[in-house]
Amino acid sequence: MSTVQAVPVVASAQTEAFIEKGGVHWYGDSSLNVRDVARAMNAIGARFITITTYELPANGGFRLEYHWDLMGHLLGFTFPLASSTIESIYDLCEAADWIEREVHEEYRIDFSGREYEPLLLREGGVCGVNLQKEVLQ
Amino acid sequence: MSYEIPMGPYHPGLEEPYKLDMICEGETVKDAKLHIGFNFRGIEHLAETRNYIQVIALMERVCGICSFIHTLTLCQAMEKLTGLTPPPRAQYIRVIMGELERLHSHVLWAGIAAKLMGFKTMFMTCFEIREKVMDVLQEISGNRVNYAMNRIGGVNRDIEDPQLVLAMVEALEKEMTRTIIPIFTTSKTATSRCAGVGVLTTEKARSLGVVGPVARASGIGQDLRKEAPYAAYGEMDFTVPVVPDGDVRARLLVRALEIMESCKILRQALSKMPPGEIAPPGDGSKFSFVTGTAMARVEAPRGEVMYSVSWKEGARMPSRVHVRTPTYVNMPAVRFMVQGARLADTPLIQAAVDPCYSCTDR
Repeated sequence: MSTVQAVPVVASAQTEAFIEKGGVHWYGDSSLNVRDVARAMNAIGARFITITTYELPANGGFRLEYHWDLMGHLLGFTFPLASSTIESIYDLCEAADWIEREVHEEYRIDFSGREYEPLLLREGGVCGVNLQKEVLQ
Repeated sequence: MSYEIPMGPYHPGLEEPYKLDMICEGETVKDAKLHIGFNFRGIEHLAETRNYIQVIALMERVCGICSFIHTLTLCQAMEKLTGLTPPPRAQYIRVIMGELERLHSHVLWAGIAAKLMGFKTMFMTCFEIREKVMDVLQEISGNRVNYAMNRIGGVNRDIEDPQLVLAMVEALEKEMTRTIIPIFTTSKTATSRCAGVGVLTTEKARSLGVVGPVARASGIGQDLRKEAPYAAYGEMDFTVPVVPDGDVRARLLVRALEIMESCKILRQALSKMPPGEIAPPGDGSKFSFVTGTAMARVEAPRGEVMYSVSWKEGARMPSRVHVRTPTYVNMPAVRFMVQGARLADTPLIQAAVDPCYSCTDR
């Protein structure tokens, strides 16, 4: 079942594509393309909420969790990052603008296909020093 | 010829630091750029260095106005990781505190909006009413802000005198219907400053993902208290005010109507509050967290707050706490609200979002 087919039936819990855990309906397949997910969410009228970033131990890269709301249900999509780059969804979902800029500043993750303007960092601030535990210089 | 006017970070309208660079032609704003981060405190990072008791006190300080809501959302997320369910009385106390916080936040906003309209008398009236709400909050918790009410699995203090809250609700409701709502909705000053000013269309509001009264004033009827009820909201009967116009007046109306609905919820919660415990038995200092991530969302006065909490089994400190606050998603909409507006209206347009930079910068 594709993302687009699976999502509308989350509300009635008729699909196994999503697993409810910790207050979130997680989509089981982490091999999805983030832009495909954003398009699918747009198609069903889901509301973008945020991106939560986790730095994995021992330089294991990052895990990004994207969240949308659909009729009061919180949907979660996980994207493991071996490198520090992921495609931007800003052109598909303008609500993602600030959080992409924040994640870029805090973890030095690049959202390809977009330009950044400073968000939280003031003049002299260095990307990656705010939340990333091991700063790669 | 266009020119750029900076507004802030020392702001003429609001007491929080942010900057709006506006591109103007004559007195008309053509475009704007918003700059935040002047208050950036790295609270999410600090949270990783606090244990499960300390982290509640820390996150309470994300925001001074909705401090209760922040600890409520955090505790609800941590309750999912510990498997604890608060007792029914605690769930009702959470509803009562949440609505009291909504009341004082909305009345504070009405006062500030009145001041920006040039309505100083109304500013004083609103703050006098707000003081009554603050007195009740102080009576319940001992504090005017940072109430320290929430704990994992319940609340720290009981509401021992429901009549005190009820008397305040009645006085506030009377003042709202007698003074504030009629003046805000019928006076020429308020209408001329608010009607058709700072419009955010329903389509743009959806695209930007705005939340709370800003969304509801643009015709989007989303409210987590209805869509995904938490605490005892599932047992409350209330309506979600929605106004489609998208202007400052619509935001004012939505908040005024929400004050009336909050009074309605408070009456129900106070009358239906069951007897019993307010927290799990024991000293409340030991919890077993399961490994994983949990999220909780709550409808704060300004809109949806979301906490994502990640924990490793046996750890005393969280491995990650992520906060998504309502102003963080509402404020980018200001760029579109001020496009085409008169320069003199921009402080009121910004204030109509009811921004909180303490929350936004974290």
